[in-house]
Amino acid sequence: MSLRLVLALAVAGAPAALGAQTGNGSTRLAGRVPAAALPAIDSILAAAVAESLPTEPLVQKALEGSAKNIPVDRLVNGVRRGYLQLRQARAIVSRAVPGQAPPEGHVAAVAAALARGLSGPVVERLLTAAPNEPPGPALHAAADLVAHHFDPDSAADLLVDAHNKGLRGVRLLDVAMAADHELQRPGGRTPSEALAHVRAMLPNVRPGRP
Amino acid sequence: MSPIDQRLQEALDGERDPGDLPTDLRESYALLSAAAQMLKTMPSVSVASRVMAEIRQNPATVHSEGSARRLIGWLGGGRAVTVRLRPVWTLALAAGLAAVLLVPWSNSLPTPGVAQGIANFVGHFPGAQSVEVVGSFNDWSRGALALNDDDHDGIWHANAVLPAGPHEYMFVVDGERWVSDPLADRYVDDGFGAGQQNSLVIVRPVSAQP
Repeated sequence: MSLRLVLALAVAGAPAALGAQTGNGSTRLAGRVPAAALPAIDSILAAAVAESLPTEPLVQKALEGSAKNIPVDRLVNGVRRGYLQLRQARAIVSRAVPGQAPPEGHVAAVAAALARGLSGPVVERLLTAAPNEPPGPALHAAADLVAHHFDPDSAADLLVDAHNKGLRGVRLLDVAMAADHELQRPGGRTPSEALAHVRAMLPNVRPGRP
Repeated sequence: MSPIDQRLQEALDGERDPGDLPTDLRESYALLSAAAQMLKTMPSVSVASRVMAEIRQNPATVHSEGSARRLIGWLGGGRAVTVRLRPVWTLALAAGLAAVLLVPWSNSLPTPGVAQGIANFVGHFPGAQSVEVVGSFNDWSRGALALNDDDHDGIWHANAVLPAGPHEYMFVVDGERWVSDPLADRYVDDGFGAGQQNSLVIVRPVSAQP
């Protein structure tokens, strides 16, 4: 390949690469999101960029709403709600993991946990217990337990115990699954009995299905 | 079975003169006497001896046929075939058979990378003409991942290699009806204010799958 061709390709590719670096995802929305919704969504995305919040969850929400033919006002409100959750999530991450810029992955995972109904204090507790771990699995495990009517604080206790006994990542989802299995066992256990039973067997919980 | 006439029995035993017998019994006496005589004169030859004698009488019959005739006879005739394989060839044969059986799978589904896993989507939609899954993993794009119901039993399914982690999705039935996956482990409000719930799958990386 000649030097001239290499330079030509570099010049041709530079705008796209620059756009990818500085873009907030709004270019992916053109043609897919109703034109009437684009200005409002663009401004939300710009605000997220200005606050160093992750924009991908907001882009996904806009694409989702458009695919579902959600009316423009509700579509924009849905994106705005996501933005507010991201802000709340960043505040939680900043408190739980002080001294560093909140990683975007942490912020997005916490926002997803809030959307699933976990309370801020429970999220913060789980983050504090494992500040150097990707928080997604622990937060989803807690949300799974809460969705199955376990007490949120007791669920967090169990997951912190599981972490302290060496379980990481998706193995924490297995802890939640084990507790749910205990709850559904014939003969019946109360939620607190189920959690106690799983806690007693830690870290030996059965690996879950894919 | 009717018992033999006493007078005939006595004549056969030599205790009565056969001439004294009535005409019908005299005929029976003649037949039975002839049969007894024949049994006395027949040499005692075992079945094996007779078979071997037969073979010796026709030793060249097989070899006198042409090659083509023998081949046709060999192909047409039933016979037991015993194949002895060394262990290494047995393993090679098993590996080849496994490869043949698995090739269709590997063609239809790419091998997941380390940070990827396989998601299984199954839904019961009797009478549906089409079902697809739309979600955050495909930017909520229509037509990206169709489910199949090859045997027309109303159970639609698809597998997909996805990045490990959480993915929100919904089924789209007949191109217009958005339906939550009734078999999903998790649900999350879609945030557009109508109470609609997305299904949530957490894809485990292949390295973490049991």
